[in-house]
Amino acid sequence: MINFIITNMSLVHINIFLAFTVSLVGLLMYRSHLISSLLCLEGIILSLFVIATIVVLNTHFTLASIIPIILLVFAACEAALGLSLLVIVSNTYGVDHVQNLNLLQC
Amino acid sequence: MNMFSSLMLASLSVLTLPIMSSILNTHKNSTYPHHVKNIISYAFITSLIPTMMFIHSGQETIISNWHWMTIQTLKLSLSFKLDYFSMIFVPVALFVTWSIMEFSLWYMHSDPYITRFFKYLLTFLITMMILVTANNLFQLFIGWEGVGIMSFLLIGWWYGRTDANTAALQAILYNRIGDIGFIMAMAWFLFNTNTWDLQQIFMLDPNLTNLPLLGLLLAATGKSAQFGLHPWLPSAMEGPTPVSALLHSSTMVVAGVFLLIRFHPLMENNKTIQSLTLCLGAITTLFTAICALTQNDIKKIIAFSTSSQLGLMIVTIGINQPYLAFLHICTHAFFKAMLFMCSGSIIHSLNDEQDIRKMGGLFNAMPFTTTSLIIGSLALTGMPFLTGFYSKDLIIETANTSYTNAWALLMTLIATSLTAVYSTRIIFFALLGQPRFLPLTTINENNPFLINSIKRLLIGSIFAGFFISNNIYPTTIPEMTMPIYMKLTALTVTILGFTLALELSLITHNLKPEHPTNMFKFSNLLGYYPTIMHRLPPLANLSMSQKSASLLLDSIWLENILPKSISQFQMKTSILISTQKGQIKLYFLSFLITLTLSMLLFNLHE
Repeated sequence: MINFIITNMSLVHINIFLAFTVSLVGLLMYRSHLISSLLCLEGIILSLFVIATIVVLNTHFTLASIIPIILLVFAACEAALGLSLLVIVSNTYGVDHVQNLNLLQC
Repeated sequence: MNMFSSLMLASLSVLTLPIMSSILNTHKNSTYPHHVKNIISYAFITSLIPTMMFIHSGQETIISNWHWMTIQTLKLSLSFKLDYFSMIFVPVALFVTWSIMEFSLWYMHSDPYITRFFKYLLTFLITMMILVTANNLFQLFIGWEGVGIMSFLLIGWWYGRTDANTAALQAILYNRIGDIGFIMAMAWFLFNTNTWDLQQIFMLDPNLTNLPLLGLLLAATGKSAQFGLHPWLPSAMEGPTPVSALLHSSTMVVAGVFLLIRFHPLMENNKTIQSLTLCLGAITTLFTAICALTQNDIKKIIAFSTSSQLGLMIVTIGINQPYLAFLHICTHAFFKAMLFMCSGSIIHSLNDEQDIRKMGGLFNAMPFTTTSLIIGSLALTGMPFLTGFYSKDLIIETANTSYTNAWALLMTLIATSLTAVYSTRIIFFALLGQPRFLPLTTINENNPFLINSIKRLLIGSIFAGFFISNNIYPTTIPEMTMPIYMKLTALTVTILGFTLALELSLITHNLKPEHPTNMFKFSNLLGYYPTIMHRLPPLANLSMSQKSASLLLDSIWLENILPKSISQFQMKTSILISTQKGQIKLYFLSFLITLTLSMLLFNLHE
């Protein structure tokens, strides 16, 4: 499968895939600020949006052309949710350092 | 056709005239009390004539004049029963009330509401007359409740005093508990004999009379302050002395005994109830006599003496001698009212001092009061051939020679000797020795109202027993022959009591002060009965009701707050089993590593 990816991928594919991977790694590994995780989440969504649009346009799959737009809608909701969580954490502690989340035990 | 019924009705109805005049005319001039006193004396003289007719011919009358209502099969009418009991009681009660009214002209002279006082006393007298002459239970109940209400109003006469208010309320509450018994008896009679008329009840003579007689016994316990419902009587001494003299010695408290006497045809067939009354009366007379031994308030001692004599009357009913009990009621009225009036004279002269530890030496300062107090006490203890002797000695003799409960008899004899003890105590502390009151008191007893009223009752205390018992027709034959030691029992225990009390009182001149012993505390605090019964049952009742009401509501709400218990449960279990410690970076990192590893694995797996 790696051979397939390496042999049949063009630069565009590599670009987008790399964008997704970098954002994913950035989401899962961050140092102290929760907001950096949220930013990477946005990056994931952005790259996913680009992948979806390019695939749909290249394969002329017209009926699926609504998918990127729906993805954007859900992304907006999710971003709002993430930001509200950030605000709550920030209200309690003033900063959004992730080590503070240790204390929020039930 | 003679004037019997007309004269009796006239004598009863003139009593209502002052009440009418004050309702219609609203005249409140200062001679109203004198009018009331005069009216009562006229009523007394008028009622003497039917009584003499009754004594002469034994004529009994039932006057049933106004048909009030018929409730399905029950006919209620206004009917007066003028028989042996009411014909003798009415003149006695009117005589005693006449003296008390005259006394209260002196005692309550400075009271601004003296007209209202006299009106209350008169209303009380009218309701008492209704009670005594009632032929059906409904009219009796009217009189019964009437005397209860007037007692409440009169005990709380000085309503600015909290003790007076609580005492009045106490009287009402204890009487109410007795009224439950009365109403139960009325209901039973209604169901089983279809009437409230005494004649029909006695004629039908129902078989199982346990329940109504128990109800009547409870009513008598409440009204006549028998053991169990007795604390209201000493507390009722918060009222003015005329009130104590009239209500709580001669008239109202004998209403319970009178009720039991009225029902003697039913009681003579029921041995169980007789034993109950006997034991109840014996307990009462002994207990209240013990309580009277260490009281320091002169009115309370006399109140306990009344209670003890009432117990003696109930004992007499218990040995199936209703006529003796009635005789004791009539004779007791004289000397007890006089004792109260003497104590009122002492109290007023010593500037409202009621504590016998602060009296003394009145033997020389108030000779007339001293005389009447001593004669009254002697009559109370049953000194031969004074008034009390004719009833009390007969009672003791009959109890000794009848087939009765030995324990009750022993209690009664001990109580008889204790009567002498506390009478000696009063005489010793109030009259003898050196004065223990402040020197600057104006002691005088030269008011004609006071002197005349006490003088009248004095003559009654000496001669009334002889007079009444020689003129009534024989009812139950008293026991004529008995061994000499039984004949002299009452006299012996009384003399024993006198000497013992005198010795003990003389010792008190040389006592060193000590802490009161347990027996003393028992006697002084009325056997702890009011302390326990006025605090514990109300507290238990109220706290139980509060807890059940609020706890129950809380339980219901807790069931509605089953959500709350669910949420608590969830929280506890989640704390218990959650292992999350909030290490987010670790979790993300492990996710990433898992992802990478899985991708590598899948790719290398081809």
